[in-house]
Amino acid sequence: MTAARPAPSDSISGIARIVVALAGALALFGVLMILKGTNPLVAYADMITSTLTDEASVEGILVRATPIALAALAVSIPARAGLINVGGEGQLIVGGVAAMGVALALDGSGPGWLRLVLMGVAAAAAGAAWSALAAVLRLAVGISESVTTLLLNYIALDLMYFLIYDVWKDRQGSGQPATRALTGSERLGLLGDTRVHLGLLLAVVATVVVAVVFRRTTWGFRLRVVGGNTEAARRAGLRVGALLVSGMAVGGALAGLGGYAQLAGAEYKLRSGFVAGYGYVAFLASWLARHRPVGVSGAAVLLTAIAIGGDSLQLDAGLPAASVNVLMALVLLGVFGFSKKRAAS
Amino acid sequence: MRSRWLSLAAITSLALVAAACGDDSKSSSASSATTSGGSTVATGAPGSGPGAGSKKVGFLFVGPKDDYGYNQAAYQGSQEVKKKFPNLEILTAENVPEDDNATRVMEKMIADGAKIIFATSYGHLDPALKVAAAHPDVAVVQQGNFIKDKVPANSGTYFGTVYEPVYLAGIAAGKATKSNKLGYVYAFPIPQTIANINAFQLGAASVNPNVQTFVVNTSNWCDVAKQAEAAKSLFAQGVDVITQHQDCTATITKAAEEAGKMVVGYHADASSLAPKGWVAGSEWSWGEMYSDIVATALSGKFTGSKYNANYRVGYQDGGNPFVQSKFGPMVDDATKKLIEEQKKVISSKDGSPFKGPIMGQDGKELFPAGVPDYLTTEAKNTAFVKGVVGQIPKG
Amino acid sequence: MNMLTEVLTGGVRGGTSILYASLGETVSERAGVVNLGTEGSMLAGALAGYAVAAETGQPWLGVAAGAVAGGLLAAVHAYLVIGRGANQLATGLVVLFLGLGLTSLFGVSYVQALAPSFRPVEIPGLHAVPLLGDVLFGQDALVYLSYVLVPVSWWVIFRSRWGVLLRAAGERSEVLVTHGHRVAPIQYTAVIVGGMLAGLGGAHLSLAYAKAWFENMAVGRGFVAVAVVMFAARHPVKVAGGAYLFGAALALSPALQARGYAINQFALDAVPYVVTLVVLIVLGRRRASDVPEGLNKVFETTPGR
Repeated sequence: MTAARPAPSDSISGIARIVVALAGALALFGVLMILKGTNPLVAYADMITSTLTDEASVEGILVRATPIALAALAVSIPARAGLINVGGEGQLIVGGVAAMGVALALDGSGPGWLRLVLMGVAAAAAGAAWSALAAVLRLAVGISESVTTLLLNYIALDLMYFLIYDVWKDRQGSGQPATRALTGSERLGLLGDTRVHLGLLLAVVATVVVAVVFRRTTWGFRLRVVGGNTEAARRAGLRVGALLVSGMAVGGALAGLGGYAQLAGAEYKLRSGFVAGYGYVAFLASWLARHRPVGVSGAAVLLTAIAIGGDSLQLDAGLPAASVNVLMALVLLGVFGFSKKRAAS
Repeated sequence: MRSRWLSLAAITSLALVAAACGDDSKSSSASSATTSGGSTVATGAPGSGPGAGSKKVGFLFVGPKDDYGYNQAAYQGSQEVKKKFPNLEILTAENVPEDDNATRVMEKMIADGAKIIFATSYGHLDPALKVAAAHPDVAVVQQGNFIKDKVPANSGTYFGTVYEPVYLAGIAAGKATKSNKLGYVYAFPIPQTIANINAFQLGAASVNPNVQTFVVNTSNWCDVAKQAEAAKSLFAQGVDVITQHQDCTATITKAAEEAGKMVVGYHADASSLAPKGWVAGSEWSWGEMYSDIVATALSGKFTGSKYNANYRVGYQDGGNPFVQSKFGPMVDDATKKLIEEQKKVISSKDGSPFKGPIMGQDGKELFPAGVPDYLTTEAKNTAFVKGVVGQIPKG
Repeated sequence: MNMLTEVLTGGVRGGTSILYASLGETVSERAGVVNLGTEGSMLAGALAGYAVAAETGQPWLGVAAGAVAGGLLAAVHAYLVIGRGANQLATGLVVLFLGLGLTSLFGVSYVQALAPSFRPVEIPGLHAVPLLGDVLFGQDALVYLSYVLVPVSWWVIFRSRWGVLLRAAGERSEVLVTHGHRVAPIQYTAVIVGGMLAGLGGAHLSLAYAKAWFENMAVGRGFVAVAVVMFAARHPVKVAGGAYLFGAALALSPALQARGYAINQFALDAVPYVVTLVVLIVLGRRRASDVPEGLNKVFETTPGR
């Protein structure tokens, strides 16, 4: 694939094509709604007002977008070095698992803030290890990291289920597979009297830092060189292996932090369905914004907002909540399929 | 460079819009969000308790509302509320997972004006309590779970004593089986389910001392593929009467009919799916209790009412919302009469399916002599009784 | 029934939907196109199959509809990847979400519908063979169809003229071009046939296995199918083995439980994935060279910036 340097107007057309795709998607989905006997104009009006102007809903978007944005950055960083990380889902999960593991192991001993920090460190380390494994396997045995990260998703999921099903199951709990709840000091603080937690700040800071790192640091520059032409990078004396592994690991660490944020900020327990599907939405968010950090986080918010529009679709229009996936898919199809035609990958 | 700034600006403005909206609605709803932390409830003026004067009622279901099972029954209950209170708008949300997403759906219902919320799945309790804490003016009731700590003034759990009709169905199963092997497919080892399995075995054993109940869990309220596999495994063990504690019941019911086995229903009347093999069953009739909860909350008297607690109702109170389904063709009149008599026994003050002493699987006493009350029964069902084959996952 | 027979029988029964989808993914990947949307095609096939069977009373019409629905969804993937040059992995996930959304939108009215289902049919003679008879020949018609499709796909891929073109499209598309063939039509056909097979798998799930339609009822089987294809290195016979291995892992837990053993089924569930990973590592170098060139491009590509 040609690594064409973005033209100055590239991002404007980038936003424009998202707008066009969104309009087209709304129109197509509107037709489907008519087929189901729903007035699309009313449904959209309800959906937009209740999703974007209702406080609870906006909080819901920010809460859910937090782990998705972090996992999306976990796609963007390796992508800069030409690696494809489909493992956001698994890295989110092992992040949550590691954080919970630390909370359970410490069992309330030590100062609260320290436990919270250690949980985050463990989550980042677990996410990094989970993703770096894929990079190492690529270098050592030549298996594509997109294959291994995908496989590692299922292994992470089964690992979590294994733990919550009996090993970590709350013996005082209600009988369903779930850990105990994190207690007060093990939880991330909330912003004001909202449901939004400090994980959001983490995601915002991470976005800015990644953007700066991409632009201003040697590491960011070298990642890009490796992504542009591995052979040339090698001839230029860059340590390609170390760069690939570190790019993957840093990404995985962010996804791990996403799992930590979801656990310590929103769910408080590991239970079945933890971050289900978030990693795949994150992957799409990164591609939607062509792996540019700020855009990626914005795309995470956009896709989350559409998903949460499903609540309105269900409560106001009486359509199944999951049908909002059609709208999300149509937007993405519009962007992926009808942007400037690129050489077949 | 310019492009990056543009996208940054877009994000910032989006965030600002969000923040602005947040602030805006906060100021307008400040009265309910901040001041009602006790003072408004305490005034006791008519129409000031949690849920008082609500125009809308919200219902959350964990699965689809036509699952031949738990969610269908709850949905029908919500529609009866609609009939009884034509002026109320009923909001229903299907397929709401048992996690933080449920919190958001409830928040949206409240933002839309609902002040009475029914969170109908067992695992909806955590999010329900979270929402109840944030909205003291909203009555949030949860179906089937148990609040261990102090029950908040605007919350509570409610349920029927499910194990009573299951015990009676167990009698029919114990009579119907030829192989003396019954099968039970369940979702999670939660107290109400263990009580059901035990009651089923105890009912069957009361008429058939050689009977055993084989159990398989699926760790999911409705994973039809796992259900299909569980049913096959039980049939392979020689089970000829199967029952279940799953939200959706069609797959196992059809599997039994097709394999020429018998089936005892749960949650809803699925006898049409198994005209030959249907033995008996139990089903929900929620309309009355839902309507009473709604009426209580609307009048402002929720706090301190029987629903502001872990409320259980059974045969002894005369109003169990969990009722017997119709009998199948193989149940003879003598068995029906026997079941009717047993129903009278467990409806009396000194009757219960768990009237002790009852021995556990391990031969130790699980229930001491005497008649346990409803909540004790639920709490003590942490192990299987003698005759159940299978182990409860640790935990 | 002894436990071995039971688990193997369950493995074949439960593995069949995965087998169909894996065969489809095999054909698609042979042409150089990965389809993570396989799960979506399975869901589309499951719903369309169940709905049409319920409406018409004809289970085989349902099966046909399932294949068509799965193929249609895959056609979207094919167009975006082949026609528009979009990234395969991202597009596949989009197609998955599209399938999930469409089936939940149109599936509501079929949750309670009754469709005629496929029942086990014992094949006279063959069913009497010890062990294998029970395991292989006491199944439903769609399972038998899948037995036929395994050698057929093997023949098509490795022996037929079209198979040569198919593999060339995936491995050395430039060679095809120099010989005057067009790559796109071959790839389109492969991806759409792949989706149709996944749709058949979905139809098996709803019409034969669970005998019901439920939102998101494939619960990850489409992803399992992609993993099976990795495990089996895109070889139809090995794909069958992999699919049955996954199926058996699913069947082992209820079989043990029904015999009174407590079992944490999730440890079992992870086994096939770990095995796949280990197989890939052990055979890594050699396997890497087996991968169609076109796929290498997918996996190695530098993301557009």
